[in-house]
Amino acid sequence: MEYDENGVSIVPFELKKEIFEEARRDFRYEEYVRGCLNCGVCAGGCPPHRFFDFSPRIVLQKMKSKDPELIWTMMDEYVWACFQCFTCAMICPFLNSPGGVIAILREIAVRRGFESAKKVLKPYSRVLLKLTAYGNQLSPDMIQPDFFPDWGPHIGYASTDLAVKRKAIPMPTLQVTNLAWDVAPEAMKELYDIFDEAGVFKIIESVDPSLYEIIQDIVDDVRSS
Amino acid sequence: MAIEIGNRLGLANVKSDYIHAAGRKLEDIHDELLELEAKGEVKVIHVKDENKPIEAETLFGWKKKIPTNKLWHHKSCGQCGNIPGYPVSLLWFMNKFGIEYIDERNQTSCTAWNYHGSGTSNPVGLAAVAVRNWHRAYELGLFPLFHCATTFGDYKEMRNLLVEHKELRDEVRRIMHKIGRELVIPEYIVHYSEWVHVMRFEIAKLKKYDLSNVIATIHPACHTYKMIPEDCIYDKEIYAGKRTAVSTGIALALGAQVADYSTWYDCCGFGFRHILTEREASRSFVMDRKIRPMVREAQSDVCITQDTGCTTTLDKNQWIGKAMGYTEQVPVMADVMFAALACGADVYKIVQLQWHTTDWRPLCEKIGIDWKKSEDEYDAYLEELKAGGKTVNLYEYPAGK
Repeated sequence: MEYDENGVSIVPFELKKEIFEEARRDFRYEEYVRGCLNCGVCAGGCPPHRFFDFSPRIVLQKMKSKDPELIWTMMDEYVWACFQCFTCAMICPFLNSPGGVIAILREIAVRRGFESAKKVLKPYSRVLLKLTAYGNQLSPDMIQPDFFPDWGPHIGYASTDLAVKRKAIPMPTLQVTNLAWDVAPEAMKELYDIFDEAGVFKIIESVDPSLYEIIQDIVDDVRSS
Repeated sequence: MAIEIGNRLGLANVKSDYIHAAGRKLEDIHDELLELEAKGEVKVIHVKDENKPIEAETLFGWKKKIPTNKLWHHKSCGQCGNIPGYPVSLLWFMNKFGIEYIDERNQTSCTAWNYHGSGTSNPVGLAAVAVRNWHRAYELGLFPLFHCATTFGDYKEMRNLLVEHKELRDEVRRIMHKIGRELVIPEYIVHYSEWVHVMRFEIAKLKKYDLSNVIATIHPACHTYKMIPEDCIYDKEIYAGKRTAVSTGIALALGAQVADYSTWYDCCGFGFRHILTEREASRSFVMDRKIRPMVREAQSDVCITQDTGCTTTLDKNQWIGKAMGYTEQVPVMADVMFAALACGADVYKIVQLQWHTTDWRPLCEKIGIDWKKSEDEYDAYLEELKAGGKTVNLYEYPAGK
């Protein structure tokens, strides 16, 4: 992708049009984008609207405009501000779902391996690894004081004698430190087959090829076990 | 319309005979699902008599059967790694009531936290993971009970998409056949907090402590009542049926005062990706939009949540507020943990509050719980385990699992 002197990406109009068409072809699009009164109720209730340059009303208005140029302006950092809480969808009088539109646009951004998506998701790679390789997400051993200093001095409690503290939890599934629960290999293998068939591994590859390699090594090990 | 206000602090137990109307064309997906089953398109995991269902009403007055027995625990990939007292408290209650259930290793994450945080999946992937886990419950003859709000929201959405889109059903069915499973859909998608809600009067019979001087503020998880909002429990006797009744219902049943605050509808600031990689946004939201209003407006003694992400976000992000001169603090725990405390569960071994960051000891002292005794016993228990002792479990794996 080319960039102008201000670091803004230069892309042909055809690509912008393609992206808009890709969003509109999503089978959820008609359900998420309906009439819009521009009433702003969604923005009034939107949490990130208070902290970022982000408005679900603008998301809807741009999609309704059908102008690929306007939709392209949301494809960089804009779509990544949304909290995905769906407050907008709950309170919209017309049953629009700006949060749902954001999900579609994010999917396109990662599927096409946009630099903005790669940059935003880089610090998220450990979570992607846990989830994709082990079918789990936040694990006890991820809660480390050096990674969460802003969570206060007590956070060190979780990393001290972690194995014995997890052993003391009276549910056998939870008596592990490297996963939220001890996922059976047969469950992981089924998850890998689903990811293969649904194209999830390909998505990871497009957004983080190095991470994809690491995941594939783990997947191969589990599959051959 | 009869209105009765009995709570000096807020609207939690305002009663009304008002019923929401859909006000727009919105089909009850449950009926459409049964039509598909009649055509042989899908198999349905029904709520049967053996599940001992209790009926509740949803937003538009539709009926929802909440199974209370023969359950398959679908754990949360956030909660189990970080807030273990939440599933443990739930199992503790189920054991008290003699409920049959299975908690096993053969379950994956719903993967929706990741999807909403990173976009690195798609509807086929999400729906196939959902059906995979639903089918596991089905083959065991149990009804799935979802612990996580995001799982609950995502699975409601996937059920709706599967019912409404044949192409998605066909694709998911193809993938299920590849992994030796079938396309099955539960009759109802049920969150653990709904189980707590319909069991609240039974739970209240186990109460050991007087909670009448405890002021609770409620933070329901967005994905329970904002995703597919029509499929969430409302009750005409709680918030006059205008807000979801879940979690408020159990606090009221236990005799706590439920106080209102101006930012009740706000999210917690979790943001899926933000809590991990853009934490400034999350922690600012926590303090400015949730914790400070809860403390300043309601003098809250405890913030009651339902869920993984909210509990983590609201609990962990209070300490850093001191950097901004914020002194407001309130302990945070899921509804079932609060209920377990009230019913005499051990603070450390069952409710597992030791993992929480914001100080919960003043709450225990206000209730009359001797947390120090519990701490001493827990420390001794850890020493026993270090010396090779065996864990006293609430549950053991079924043979061969």
